Amino acid sequence: MMQAILVVCVCVCVCVYSVMQSVVWAVLLWPCLVSLGVPLECKDEQGSIILCASISKEKLLDRVIQHAELIYRVSEESCTLFEEMFVPFPMRSQRNQAGYTCATKAFPIPGSKSEIQQISDKWLLHSVLILVQSWIEPLVYLQTTLDRYDDAPDTLLKKTKWVSEKLLSLEQGVVVLIRKMLDDDMLTNSYYEQGVAPYALQPEVLESVLRDYTLLSCFKKDAHKMETFLKLLKCRQTDKYSCFLH
Amino acid sequence: MMWRDVGVTLILSLILPVVAQGARHTPPGKPKLTSCRSPDKETFTCWWEAGSDGGRPTTYSLFYHKENSETVYECPDYHTAGANSCFFNKNETSIWVNYNITVVATNALGNNFSDPVDVDVVYIVQPHTPENVTVGVLEDEDGPFLRVSWEPPRKADTRSGWITLIYELRVKLEEAEEWEEHRAGQQKMFNIFSLHSGGVYMVQVRCKPDHGFWSEWSTASYVKVPDYIPRERSMWILIAVFSAFIFLILTWIITLNRSSVKHCLLPPVPGPKIKGFDQQLLKKGKPEEVFNSLVVQSFPPRSTDYEDLLVEYLEVYVNEKQELMPEGKDLRDVGCLKSKSQSDNDSGRGSCDSHTLLMEKCGGVESKDESSYEEPELLQGQAGSWERLERGDSQVVDTPDSSDARVKTWPLVFSPSIHGSSDNHHYGTLEMPKQHSTSEITYSVPDHLFPTSTSFPHHHHPEYRDSLGEYSEYRHSRSPSTGVLYHWEAQHHPQAHSNFNIRNLERQKEATGLGLPPSRSMEYVEVQKVNQENQLVLKPLSSHGRGPSQVQFGRAVVDYSKVNGVNNDNVLLLQRQREMAEAGQYCDYREKEGAEAERYPTQQQGKTTKDGPVATQLQESTCLTTSGYVDTVPTMPTF
Repeated sequence: MMQAILVVCVCVCVCVYSVMQSVVWAVLLWPCLVSLGVPLECKDEQGSIILCASISKEKLLDRVIQHAELIYRVSEESCTLFEEMFVPFPMRSQRNQAGYTCATKAFPIPGSKSEIQQISDKWLLHSVLILVQSWIEPLVYLQTTLDRYDDAPDTLLKKTKWVSEKLLSLEQGVVVLIRKMLDDDMLTNSYYEQGVAPYALQPEVLESVLRDYTLLSCFKKDAHKMETFLKLLKCRQTDKYSCFLH
Repeated sequence: MMWRDVGVTLILSLILPVVAQGARHTPPGKPKLTSCRSPDKETFTCWWEAGSDGGRPTTYSLFYHKENSETVYECPDYHTAGANSCFFNKNETSIWVNYNITVVATNALGNNFSDPVDVDVVYIVQPHTPENVTVGVLEDEDGPFLRVSWEPPRKADTRSGWITLIYELRVKLEEAEEWEEHRAGQQKMFNIFSLHSGGVYMVQVRCKPDHGFWSEWSTASYVKVPDYIPRERSMWILIAVFSAFIFLILTWIITLNRSSVKHCLLPPVPGPKIKGFDQQLLKKGKPEEVFNSLVVQSFPPRSTDYEDLLVEYLEVYVNEKQELMPEGKDLRDVGCLKSKSQSDNDSGRGSCDSHTLLMEKCGGVESKDESSYEEPELLQGQAGSWERLERGDSQVVDTPDSSDARVKTWPLVFSPSIHGSSDNHHYGTLEMPKQHSTSEITYSVPDHLFPTSTSFPHHHHPEYRDSLGEYSEYRHSRSPSTGVLYHWEAQHHPQAHSNFNIRNLERQKEATGLGLPPSRSMEYVEVQKVNQENQLVLKPLSSHGRGPSQVQFGRAVVDYSKVNGVNNDNVLLLQRQREMAEAGQYCDYREKEGAEAERYPTQQQGKTTKDGPVATQLQESTCLTTSGYVDTVPTMPTF
């Protein structure tokens, strides 16, 4: 009898808790649900509010930046994981050191803040897009090579998979952003036409481990580039004048 | 000679260090790059440490080349950042580019290269500490709390998004040893709660880019928390725990005594119980078996069992007073004959079977003979003769107007003690017809036996009929000439209730002088069976050889009418008591009656034995009112 009472009490508590939790979640997510369901309000040229089915530029840019940040963070974690697992100690590069060189892009990427400040928004966006597009294929390639590892940790595989997926959505976002911000529809194909040779690595790096490690590191760097470009772009969108003061 | 040796030694000792010193000049040792840092991701500085300098002044120079380029550049600024450092300004800093840096130590004798180091500015960012760290004490409903705010380091360009910094702060009481660290994310403000009242807190903040190093901790800020009384939440917690504990104990006690608690709160409801009803069978779902157990095999009685249902004999009690009734009265007293059956305790038998059936006829509504009914006053006391065929118990609603005497007499009539030897009595159940039977029991009784007034209240008769419906009408036909004949007819009930039809004696005897001396003698008549014409076959008990059933009348209050005999037509001949005054007449009559009432109905196929009429017995007792009564025999006579 005692056990029955206890079991009943526990069940009741669990039920109540789950119900409460679901209610709490519903309450918390209510604004999200509402916002997802209801199309956003947009102002067209005349300033009247119309219901538009798309997102505003600012929000889109914010989301793109969030994507880029996340991608960078995950790529950094993946690189560290890989380094700990597979790279022998002497060859490990500290964060401030780089024992490798990444492939150069056909497109010149600005390398300093002053340079970046000199280029236009359009080129910023285009740079981001090129970067994104240049990494889509190599990441897919990296996934296949990582699967061949015997003891590749699951987290590493998951992270790289996640990154490659997010990269695609980032590309989409940047394309939409370009269309919105620059009213530029000409960009449908990627500038980056290098295509196949996924990543022309140094020929001396023959070991697959080092090759993959280089791949990850270079991607990490480029992810950071994307993130920075986008953030700079955001500043320019909000307050163009103050962004250049520094 | 000695002087020369000392001089040479001195000179040598002086020269050798010089020579030796001149011999320590070597190329410099290997320098080593210790670190490169960038505070803002726009410039960076590298520091090195010098190796041995080899005795000569050594100069250090730093050379670098960027990745994918073989052009070697030298450090543009050796002084800004201090000794043994190289400062790269904005124009020379490229991010996302690997720098291959080498330091060269050079002296007059040679140079030495350090190990090259690859540097990417992005990854060596270490900002300065946050600035303007302010701590304030604010009040809340829960108490005071600390609000810490700061600003990013001046050099880091977070506004344009060039650098994204995340912050961290730590706090501790001044006298404490452990720091309490909090991550603040990208916000520049933070609240600290749950303070010790009156304590002094130290707060420090630092920051880090999302891809670099942590800055140094800012200088500590001190703040004093004012005294306050914290709300005691622990008290409520204690109370809650205590009550939960008590609740558990109560629950435990209740579960230990759950049966008694259940009994107290929900008293068990007595369920219906039917004798012979098997609930288990019902649960099994076989109603036929269940109900079969309730069935009494011998019910309904089949027609062949009529014999078993016969009353063996009837005891009829004749009231003395009835003798006094004038003859002129056209009476047909209602004789309420009641046969008392003590037999059955059945619970399902037909009412005709049960002893509770009241057979009483008070006035024949349907009878062919009209009879006038008179009040039963004469039945009061012990006087009055009346016959009744009583069916046992108090369902004798028949005479609500009856005098107490009469009421009282009824049980007396039928009590075995009155009759004396109860063993000799045979009781039989008289099966009476059911509702609305117009059974008429007629007995031939001398008129004088029946005071006209002692007719049973006829006005009750219809009541009897209506209320009980289970009685036989007894008609007391009273004719002066003949005895009162009790015509007892029982209608046949379709449900196998035999009708008892004891027809009138054809010859009506005047009921004059039928009053019998108030003797209390009673005799039993045994009803043998019911013939096919639904007539009671009676015979005196004495004829059965069961011994004289002469009753001692001494005790009886009421006189019973004695069954004289049954005539040819199977009519019960009853005698009535006479008073002593008329004893003679009665005696005569009795003799007369006795002569006549000789026959017993022997129509029955059975073993009806012809016994001497009752009258013979009467004759034996000289002028004593014989009282016999008809009584039901509880047991079934077996033939």
